[in-house]
Amino acid sequence: MKSSALELKQVSKTFTKDGQTVNAVQSVDLTVEQGELVTFLGPSGCGKTTTLRMVAGFELPTAGEITIQGKDMTNMPVNKRGIGFVFQNYALFPHMSVYGNVAYGLKARGERTRDIGEKVRSALKLVGLANTENRYPNQLSGGEQQRVALARVIVMEPNLLLMDEPLSNLDAKLRLHMRTEIRALQKKLGITCLYVTHDQSEALTMADRIVVMNKGRVEQVGTPFEIYSNPQSVFVADFIGQANIVELQIVLAEQETLTAQIPGGGTFKARALRPDHHVQGSELYRTGQSAALVIRPENILVQDPSSEDGTFPAHVRSSIYVGSHVEYELVLANGTAIKAMVPFSRGMHIYEQQEQVSLLFDATATAFLPL
Amino acid sequence: MRIPALPKSTKRSLIKSDPVLYSAMVAVWLSFAVFIFLPLLSLLWTTFFVNGTFSFANIKKVWSAKYNVRALYGSLILATAVSVSGTLLGYIFALAVTRTTLPKPLKVLLGAVTILPLISPPFTSSISLTLALGPNGMLLKALGIKNFSIYGFIGIWISETLTYFPVAFMVISAILNTMAATLDDAALSLGASRWRMLRTVTIPLSLPGIGNSILLLFGASLADFATPLILGGHTFPVLPTEAYLLITGMFDLKGGAALSFLLLVPALVVFFLQRQLLGTKSFVSVTGKNGARTEFAQLPKTLVVAISAICTIMVVFIIYLYAIILWGSFVKVWSVNNTFTFEHYRYVFKHGRKAIGDTLLIAFLSTVIGSVLAVVIGYITQRKTFIGKRFMEFSSMLNYALPGTVVGIAYIIGFNRKPILLTGTLTILVAAYVFRYYATGIRSVVASLEQIDPALEEASLSLGAGTLRTFTHVTIPLIIPAVFAGMRYLFIHCMTAISATIFLVSVRWTLLTTRILESMTELQFSQASAFSIVLIVIVFAADAIMHRALGMITANFHRPQEASYEIIGA
Repeated sequence: MKSSALELKQVSKTFTKDGQTVNAVQSVDLTVEQGELVTFLGPSGCGKTTTLRMVAGFELPTAGEITIQGKDMTNMPVNKRGIGFVFQNYALFPHMSVYGNVAYGLKARGERTRDIGEKVRSALKLVGLANTENRYPNQLSGGEQQRVALARVIVMEPNLLLMDEPLSNLDAKLRLHMRTEIRALQKKLGITCLYVTHDQSEALTMADRIVVMNKGRVEQVGTPFEIYSNPQSVFVADFIGQANIVELQIVLAEQETLTAQIPGGGTFKARALRPDHHVQGSELYRTGQSAALVIRPENILVQDPSSEDGTFPAHVRSSIYVGSHVEYELVLANGTAIKAMVPFSRGMHIYEQQEQVSLLFDATATAFLPL
Repeated sequence: MRIPALPKSTKRSLIKSDPVLYSAMVAVWLSFAVFIFLPLLSLLWTTFFVNGTFSFANIKKVWSAKYNVRALYGSLILATAVSVSGTLLGYIFALAVTRTTLPKPLKVLLGAVTILPLISPPFTSSISLTLALGPNGMLLKALGIKNFSIYGFIGIWISETLTYFPVAFMVISAILNTMAATLDDAALSLGASRWRMLRTVTIPLSLPGIGNSILLLFGASLADFATPLILGGHTFPVLPTEAYLLITGMFDLKGGAALSFLLLVPALVVFFLQRQLLGTKSFVSVTGKNGARTEFAQLPKTLVVAISAICTIMVVFIIYLYAIILWGSFVKVWSVNNTFTFEHYRYVFKHGRKAIGDTLLIAFLSTVIGSVLAVVIGYITQRKTFIGKRFMEFSSMLNYALPGTVVGIAYIIGFNRKPILLTGTLTILVAAYVFRYYATGIRSVVASLEQIDPALEEASLSLGAGTLRTFTHVTIPLIIPAVFAGMRYLFIHCMTAISATIFLVSVRWTLLTTRILESMTELQFSQASAFSIVLIVIVFAADAIMHRALGMITANFHRPQEASYEIIGA
């Protein structure tokens, strides 16, 4: 059986800081296949960087097991893991030329000088930095430094490429450019890559799969589409993209759908996420209890007041016309604030402050999550 | 079905996981045991144990001698006076350099003048003050002053202030420089006058520097041995000289030990206060978010005039004192027969050759060994976490924090019998210097490492280099300027310091500084001057060589910052 590129089994990390125990990472399980690009996404302090550093070997897990290509690496020193690490601030050696930086690992490995020269040049060419060999890091722009950092790592042909927020020090325009470039390079080389970021658009555009982390735990693992359209927890729904979370009382739970009471109106029916739990008779969804309805701003229609079933009565708090669409801030009858983004077309009425409206949620794009 | 792996303990022993670190730590602790703990414990044993039982008899005995009590008070009064006057003078110089628009050449001269006392042997100012203000003093004659005696409190006070105010200058100007200039602008824009700005912003923000300077100078004066020996005489005894006379004159080791214990107590108090002060977060704002660096606001006009006047007088006076030594080294008999002669230099190079050779050898060995130790200790205490780390930091500074006299006495007591019989050897001299003056090296290595992102070392490890290769190929090249800074300081001190080693010299191994002292006690002022000049020239030359060497080593990677931020692909 072919083994996975990387496997984390019940990996945990506990720090003691100022006499207090901090659970930085708790029981993380993850399998990464050969050639995948997996991003770790989460707010700062969620444990994503610590997890990455444990895979690299800079930190040792307090418990659990890490295997790279089937080999147990849990306690292996960093320099024997065959990984490549790209640092947030690049960590180029300031006292070495570009050549010296890229050749560093090959020299440590004891390769022949002639081979080193060839490999360094082809790596630099690959990242578009031919003819910069003799320059020093402080003579390079931020983007160029980033490319040298990449070249320094890929020249080693690592089993695993680990990147810790590699683009966060670049300006916005360059960041977009480097995203596609890194992704293209990674695909071209077929290299397995773990990529830590707190920028969700970076994660959504680059990743094969995203690992969303919060408070040291994995909230959800999935493709960008799954993460965005089928969030498995309120945290993920709220963290990825914009989402309105409305607490509603369940009046009926059946198969995979829930019906809930609309404040000041009729009822609303939508599918319930977490199909791993049976909706019927589940602890998570019980009649009389509350559930969280997740709805993205672009899936809301703002209409004249109506008493039609499935519409939510609301009033407008503010409306801003931004050209292609109108951004509404609305308030439901129970006081919940809702954001809506309605595409603007010529002749369309824009509701003013305090106007009464009714909201129509796109039932196919709406889902219930347990609270 | 997957069976979850059982949580696995990942604790490993240090020997296995990091054998290099392990052996380095063993070596450091061993060296501390022999050269720091053994002598100090021997000193305490000799002081407090009489025939194997604990007793205050030795302390009581020295305390009952009126002369010793006077020496204790003398030491404390002198240290207080010097710390205040030196800090004041240092502050004035620091203001002149950092907050005035005095012409550049004058500022350079101010800087140079503050460096001279730092690299001169400790006797220099005492010798020149004797030549200027002593019996037959040149300046006294010129000014027509009679009935003035340089010997006693006044002389020591002036001499030590001159010797130590540069320390205050360095500490305070560093802190004045790191203040955000925008604070000045803020104060002025809120309607404060320049005096008010000085009183409410500049001075309060520099308080940590002032405090540190006072403590440093207090400690330095308390420990100073050379100046009181020459200028104190019997009119103003202080503890270090009393201990020295007791040991070398009366061979009273127990009495010397007890006296040095009296000295040890205030020195340790100062040491702890200083650690406390530096440990608390300084409230000087180095945010790095100042935007474009603005100029500091000008000081009040009258103050600038006063500062300029004081600085000018001091610069002239210090240059005059050095000139006088140079002049003194070329005359036959000071102020009696002023004929020009090379006689004294001939004497120095003939009869002082052994001292010159010995001093150079000892300084060289101490500098090399001390630097290696400083790098190792600085590295493991800054980069690694281990049990006993704080204790290692503390112990490494102990010999430095204690007055040289205490260390010297501890060394002769600790090493004058088997199993470690070292008195009279080269080893004991080198060890005394190494474990006293590597402290600055450790500090500069630590400061330098704090500036270096650990990611650089992690990058090296992740590229497959081992711990040792990472250390030699990445860490060392990056901290080499700091190592050299420590080396220069170590070398200068090995050439000039005397307070500890005066107890350790022998017929076999002697030092230039002890030859200067001998010449002074024999009233051979011109000979002493010639020895001093030779010593200063050697220090200057060696310092210049080290500076050049550093320049050559780092030429490769200290490129000028010419970062170009063109957008790639644009």
